[in-house]
Amino acid sequence: MDREGTLECFNRLNLCMAVTLYLSNDTSARAAGADCLAAAWADIPDIRVVRTSSRGAFFLEPLVERDGPHGRLLWPRAEPDDLSRIRNEAGGISLPEVPFLAQQQRAVFARFGTAQPLSLEEYRANGGWRGWERAANLPSEAIIAELKTSGLRGRGGAAFPVWHKWDIARRTSADQKYVVANADEGDAGTYCDRMIMEGEPFRLIEGMLICAKAVGADHGYVYCRWEYPAAAATMQAAIAEIERAGLLTIDERPFRLEVFRGAGSYVCGEETALLSSLEGGRGMVKVRPPYPAVAGLHGKPTVVSNVLTFGTVVEIMCRGADWHAALGTAGSKGLIVLQLGGRIRQPGLVEIPFGATLAEVLERFGGGMADGSRFKAVQVGGPLGSLFPESQLHIPLCFDTFNEAGAVLGHGGIVVFDDQTDMVELARHYMTFTADESCGKCTPCRIGSVRARELLERIEGGSGTGADLDLLADLGDTMKATSLCAHGGRAPYPVLTAIEHFGDEFRRRLPSNGRRES
Amino acid sequence: MATSETALLDRVLEPHRPRPGEQANILRTLLAVQQALGHVPPNAIGPVADALKVPEAHVAGVLSYYPDLHTASRGRQIVRVCLGEACIANRSMHLLADLQRVLGIGLGETTKDGQTTLERVYCLGNCGVGPTVMVDETIYGRASVSDVEKLLKPNGS
Repeated sequence: MDREGTLECFNRLNLCMAVTLYLSNDTSARAAGADCLAAAWADIPDIRVVRTSSRGAFFLEPLVERDGPHGRLLWPRAEPDDLSRIRNEAGGISLPEVPFLAQQQRAVFARFGTAQPLSLEEYRANGGWRGWERAANLPSEAIIAELKTSGLRGRGGAAFPVWHKWDIARRTSADQKYVVANADEGDAGTYCDRMIMEGEPFRLIEGMLICAKAVGADHGYVYCRWEYPAAAATMQAAIAEIERAGLLTIDERPFRLEVFRGAGSYVCGEETALLSSLEGGRGMVKVRPPYPAVAGLHGKPTVVSNVLTFGTVVEIMCRGADWHAALGTAGSKGLIVLQLGGRIRQPGLVEIPFGATLAEVLERFGGGMADGSRFKAVQVGGPLGSLFPESQLHIPLCFDTFNEAGAVLGHGGIVVFDDQTDMVELARHYMTFTADESCGKCTPCRIGSVRARELLERIEGGSGTGADLDLLADLGDTMKATSLCAHGGRAPYPVLTAIEHFGDEFRRRLPSNGRRES
Repeated sequence: MATSETALLDRVLEPHRPRPGEQANILRTLLAVQQALGHVPPNAIGPVADALKVPEAHVAGVLSYYPDLHTASRGRQIVRVCLGEACIANRSMHLLADLQRVLGIGLGETTKDGQTTLERVYCLGNCGVGPTVMVDETIYGRASVSDVEKLLKPNGS
């Protein structure tokens, strides 16, 4: 055998013997070092690195996996030098040994961490596209009826019954209708939409097709926030792939789908502001009615639904409405996708049925506090969500219980603060954020958020008075009652719950002459 | 604007001119201008308005609304510290204060040599591995001041 032949033989042998390693390509996996591992092992002949979606167990990232005799083996928090251990299958743990993952009941995120995000072949081989295949052969009324039976409520934060919103758009006759995916996941502490777009982009397309069929739309947009460059790029690539495969059609007519990038405005997550932005204007909130389902983009009937909502619709069409309706509680059907963050040991994505208490979630999945930290408060539902102290962790995670408590589940963000957190500084941050991001349409939010920020700056700086705290409470009530959208209407909640539960910290900042007698 | 910039602007605006029956999209156009020029200089407002056949006030209104449309040139390197709540819980406010001290600038400012601009961002969805810092287009998790210092490019590069 000549030299070239030997080399080729050697290479072929190597390829047969090559070890395939799976490494997530998710933004957070890369931010934790996945790209460094991929680069370090790129030129090793018998190592093949496949980039996948993420399991969402971010405390384990960068996480390396390989196929073992009984399923995947995992090497959490891997470093380049770990390669010899991984090659020898030494020290890998199996999935059941990770309680964070084993105790979840995943549906939308069931396949996350296994497949390549942009492989349509893998998506379909793993059970994807079946929801659309079923919906494509159903009359639109039947799709709406299925959603009604399922009890699905919108996952973006407003929790409006999905079937109802879609049915309004279906019943409104027009020469043009639109489907818009709200991918402006602005609530700090949330990332499930980003994970879907980066990890299973075909799922979002599939959900949007089901919606377009149900309401009679032939044009769709994914409104993706500026802060998600990888998600936008992945969605664009996935749309191109679906088009290449000839699958972007409804009843043999083309469905036009585009990605539109935002430019850093939080309020654009509100549906009317989102549509103003999509039209190219300022992201201003509009008075409803008319609702977008009647008169939305360019005045035409438009369904604006959240990315996770579309992702869940796919599961419902695939598994049937009864599957969904049997999960969760009476008023909160299905699974809740929680995104844990802050000072806990195990930050990451958790998909479980509605109804578990906050305490259970923090303990079973959060894994307790980060080293050296003690619990102080937890915020649920993003920057407009309420703060809960330790004494209130028995509250079950359902729409109704949160509503009764004057709180919101929002988009499922859970952020834990430790005893080092300065609640006055945090409260001032909330109002700085609200003022920065107010669209300015209504006075309570535009002026109220600035005045509230000023009051909190004064208290933080040590020159506030007891009357300032009273004024803050009064201003908060005005904003809650009179703001046009949830931005101004919900913004007082984190501030007022901080004062309610940690009032001493605020009062300690007042100069002695400003302290109240009580 | 320099002649070369004017020519570039013309090329950028071409595909955004509304065809008959089509509505202009100001935001999408301004993002394209920023992509090409690095920012949207105020004297581009006129040409953009002309190309899109909309009043200058509408273009100026959109330009002033969005936090990520910039009217002035910024540093050659942009460092953004996440001030989302999950990152704040993991001390990103301290990280921001430390970076202000290291760079000798305030939030939203650029170092005197025009090298680095320091900004804040409200959540990059990287909450599972915070605190998060974005340097130009790359997102870094579990970031410390020394990590970020290593990423700062020396002047002139």
